[in-house]
Amino acid sequence: MTDTPRDWNAIRAVIRKDVTAVRRSKAVVIPMLAVPFLLLVILPLLIGVAARSQGGGVGNFLDSVPAGLADPITDLPEDEQMIVLVNGYLLAPLFLIVPLMVSAVLAADAFAGEKERRTMETLLHLPISNRDLFVAKLLGAFIPAIAVSWVGFALFCVVTNAVAWGVMGRIFVPTRLWGVVIFWVAPAVAMLGLGVMVRVSVRARSTQEANQLGGAVVLPLIFLAVGQSTGLLLVDLPVAFAIGAVIWVLALWLTRRGARRFTRDEIATRI
Amino acid sequence: MAAAAIQTVQLTRRFPSGTALDRLDLEVFPGEVLALLGPNGAGKTTTIRLLNGVLQPDSGSARVLGLDPAVDGHAIRQRTGVLTENAGLDDRLTARENLEVVARIRGLKPAVAHERVGELLERFDMGERADVAVQGASTGQRKRIALVRALLHDPELLFLDEPTSGLDPAATRDVIELISSLATEHGRTVVLCTHFLGEAGRLADRMAVLHRGTLRAAGRPAELAAEMWQGLPTDIELAAPADARVLGLLRPLDGVITAESTPTGLRVEVGHRDVIARVVRTLVDASVDVFAATPQPHTLEDVYFAIEAQLEIESIS
Ligand SMILES: Nc1ncnc2c1ncn2[C@@H]1O[C@H](COP(=O)(O)OP(=O)(O)OP(=O)(O)O)[C@@H](O)[C@H]1O
Ligand SMILES: [Mg+2]
Repeated sequence: MTDTPRDWNAIRAVIRKDVTAVRRSKAVVIPMLAVPFLLLVILPLLIGVAARSQGGGVGNFLDSVPAGLADPITDLPEDEQMIVLVNGYLLAPLFLIVPLMVSAVLAADAFAGEKERRTMETLLHLPISNRDLFVAKLLGAFIPAIAVSWVGFALFCVVTNAVAWGVMGRIFVPTRLWGVVIFWVAPAVAMLGLGVMVRVSVRARSTQEANQLGGAVVLPLIFLAVGQSTGLLLVDLPVAFAIGAVIWVLALWLTRRGARRFTRDEIATRI
Repeated sequence: MAAAAIQTVQLTRRFPSGTALDRLDLEVFPGEVLALLGPNGAGKTTTIRLLNGVLQPDSGSARVLGLDPAVDGHAIRQRTGVLTENAGLDDRLTARENLEVVARIRGLKPAVAHERVGELLERFDMGERADVAVQGASTGQRKRIALVRALLHDPELLFLDEPTSGLDPAATRDVIELISSLATEHGRTVVLCTHFLGEAGRLADRMAVLHRGTLRAAGRPAELAAEMWQGLPTDIELAAPADARVLGLLRPLDGVITAESTPTGLRVEVGHRDVIARVVRTLVDASVDVFAATPQPHTLEDVYFAIEAQLEIESIS
């Protein structure tokens, strides 16, 4: 197959189409905004309020954590400990649900949805290379996933600092850990969501099926593994970096495999 | 004759369910309309997908506009327009949005694309629906939008998969006229898949009949008819069905192949047009009143059904 140079005009056109279409479907938009809102606005708000009314140390909890990791928190004044622990650290892995979910939902729409709506054949008959089409569909899910995550995170910072001001008297998020999570781990996780959905969508006949296959089985498992094992490890910056790297490798490997199977013949055979 | 716009050699494509296209040898010449006919599942859509480089052949080869679709599909797709069997529009987008993506991918400048889309939507009476979401559009309206999509870049080769199914009579006539003018006035080559034989007969220079992936016949309808039937059927209108005496007058005539009575008179099959005059003269000389004599040349439809009938006989034996 002859390689054509990458056609950014075509790629942009497909991304714009996918994003416009998705913006108009409530079934996609509502969960995509509701989940980040719950995680990034409501949850920190509740925690902040709880911390203000009860305060108190978290010494018992931190006993189970290796000393080196717990130090940055146990060194703090007691009334600051809980809010810093939860909003500064424990929420970070939970936050990863956002890029994972958004990218997976959008990828399901872009790959399996296109097949379900029978619009894929139209694209196959156009002068856009397999690779460009794949890149467009990937970016069409990846960019919004990152955008939602980052905007959500900005909101989270505002809410958290505002609600905790009474206790903290200073701006304490983003922590450096959050920085790593937002700029390194979150994009990796978004990519992982894509990689999984691209593979699942090859089989699935509809968006719903793709979401069921990907969402119900694969994604929670991955998330559980990531969330559980990193919950407290993520407190440690080098470990957070390393985990991010592992997720990146896995995500890119999955996506590359998906790309190799993303050929016109393969797709047209399964239309 | 000019180099073929499309030429396939033993083109074959299999699916797990069976062979969709079996060793197809076919030629389409520039500026002609080829009617690709055949019952459901014959392999028409598969052929289009192979020719436009969407599917890869299992064996055999094709040349489309001088290029191999298995290798240079991208370059071919720049010069072809396809009306897919299913309109394939995104319901959440408007007609214009659905079309403008395509225009962008085809490299049209935004201003040019905007104008061309507007113009063509008007042309197909879809101007008013241009900026309404496609959701809720009827089958025929979708088909028109899809037609606009195929014509957007004024391609030199068009693959039209059932262009008039679902259209109302006026739109059907309009589309038939459009296809005809694309070929005759603008020199475009058209591969037309259809189940409407009347339409195929009006438009097609040549026909190809597929059956279960195999090409059963290809050529000009008149030439295929000449191979199947010796003579030219002609209806002769009389005051009453012809009786044995009248038939007896005609049967011995030179050039008359058969003569049969019909409710309105009789039907003769003649070896040549000139024989019709001789038939009429013989009748008039015998004091039989003749009201009309109408040659009924075999149509594409006759040819198609004769092929189908032949297939049926083959499948029984
Ligand atoms: N992707 C596919 N997977 C499996 N079988 C297929 C696929 N595409 C086509 N076929 C089979 O190949 C044969 C030819 O199909 P094709 O769609 O080319 O027929 P067609 O002539 O266009 O029919 P119709 O008039 O119904 O549109 C059919 O038996 C069909 O089931
Ligand atoms: Mg078909």
